Amino acid sequence: MVRPIVELTGVTRAYGARLALDEVHLALQPGELTFLVGPSGAGKTTLLKLINREIRPTRGEVWVDGIAAHDLKVSRIAELRRRVGVVFQDYKLLPRLTALENVAFGLQVGDLRVSDEEARDRSLDALEAVGLGDRGDAFPDQLSGGQQQRVALARAVVAQPPLLIADEPTGNLDQDTAWEIMDLFADIAAWGTAVLIATHNVEIVTRLQRRVVTLVQGRLVRDQPAGQIGRMAWLALS
Amino acid sequence: MAGVVVKGRFPRRRLFRIVATNTFRYLFRGAARNWARNIGSTAPALGSMTLLLVMTGLVGITAFALHNLERVETAQASLLHVYIRDDAAPVEVDWLRDRLQNDPRVASVSYTSKSQALARAQRMPGLPELADATESNPFPASLDVQLKSIDDVAGIDAMARDDGAVDPLYPTSYDRGAYRRIQAVLFGTAVAGFALLSMLGFVAVTVTINSIKAAIHARRDEISIMQLVGAPRWMVRGPFVVEGAITGGLAGMAAGLVTFGLAMTGIAAGSGTFTQFAPGVTAAVAAVVGAMVFAAGLGLGSGSSLVSVRRHMEA
Repeated sequence: MVRPIVELTGVTRAYGARLALDEVHLALQPGELTFLVGPSGAGKTTLLKLINREIRPTRGEVWVDGIAAHDLKVSRIAELRRRVGVVFQDYKLLPRLTALENVAFGLQVGDLRVSDEEARDRSLDALEAVGLGDRGDAFPDQLSGGQQQRVALARAVVAQPPLLIADEPTGNLDQDTAWEIMDLFADIAAWGTAVLIATHNVEIVTRLQRRVVTLVQGRLVRDQPAGQIGRMAWLALS
Repeated sequence: MAGVVVKGRFPRRRLFRIVATNTFRYLFRGAARNWARNIGSTAPALGSMTLLLVMTGLVGITAFALHNLERVETAQASLLHVYIRDDAAPVEVDWLRDRLQNDPRVASVSYTSKSQALARAQRMPGLPELADATESNPFPASLDVQLKSIDDVAGIDAMARDDGAVDPLYPTSYDRGAYRRIQAVLFGTAVAGFALLSMLGFVAVTVTINSIKAAIHARRDEISIMQLVGAPRWMVRGPFVVEGAITGGLAGMAAGLVTFGLAMTGIAAGSGTFTQFAPGVTAAVAAVVGAMVFAAGLGLGSGSSLVSVRRHMEA
């Protein structure tokens, strides 16, 4: 049995009196592409933040690649973050850096042992992998939304994290571009990286037939394995 | 295709040079670039800190001079001049000198003739003109009595002032309470200087903290991305502390030069008068104070930034 990259055990997270997550149990295996679905306010972003140790659980345990995120000191957060690639809906690229520099920045500030030459080579590889090998010198405002998300994806995987999490990565993209981005996520997962994507995009979730975890009002109400995706239960509740 | 990236060979060259280059780039070069870019928001901090440090330097030199002055005054206060009548017979003077020398409270007694008193006066600032203005020598001869304790000055004065050899108009140099008045003035000056520096220090630290807060706010996206990609805390915070150190260092350098320049100007402009009112202040002392002001600027700038980063970074 392969050790899960992510393991949540009885995780509860409260904001005051409101429960954002309630007794959630979840494990993600290496190479597994999992969709996290649910209506707005269901707790999807909270779950991602717990994995990336942006917040701590009120109760329960969060393990990420063998690190106890629930009990992690602030001084060791960087160690966990280097194991987790993150992609956002709004890309979060630095506007005054080129695409190549954005990717290299993510690589070098996370690991000072990476030389300029190595950072450049690996960043170019990452940009080529997402189909932007010829746009390395472009600034973010010279790229389309889909291209910016590809750069963000390249930055997230360039340091070879075992886990990639994405919060609504296709939320700002048209459907064709969204499919291209999803193909990249699938490609990344096929090489052994665990990928967890929070999304509202029903079409993609339904057609890709990957594992789907459904959250409703903070509770994990359904965990459907790959290939058994039927009607989205949360649609009826949203 | 993605396999090239996520499973590619990732050589680990743990070379000191690479780490040093990257550290320098993100910590120092990045900080210098951002400092130059944010000069508008940093200018008030730079100005107030320079003003504070100039004041600190001047107060430091003044404190040093006052400390020396106090030592000189303390030594002088335990030295009693017993002025001799111009027409006193030598035997009267010898008799008085023996009386004083045999007193257990007295450490030593020396005789200063009228001509020696005149020569000494001519070495003091302002007095040569006065001495030259009269044809006769106005300065009396004296017995200079060094006492073992400053508390015995009044007793020796009472013993000597009615002696037949002593000038009845100006018998001695004893001035009741003079020493305490000097101490009171020194204490008052020190309190006022400390209060002024505290106020200026508070202003400088507050302005610096706010300028770093503004810099953090302006670069919140970059900070957020650095934190998300796993940059260590020192690397996220470090550039802001370096920025504060640059501000403090420049302010300290400017203030140190101004302090040194003012002190040297004072020394050069009126060496006699300056030595009298600021004893012990030399070019070497001015240079040391200038260097201390520079170091204080570095500490103040980086310390204020650290406080700001700790207070505002997590928010």
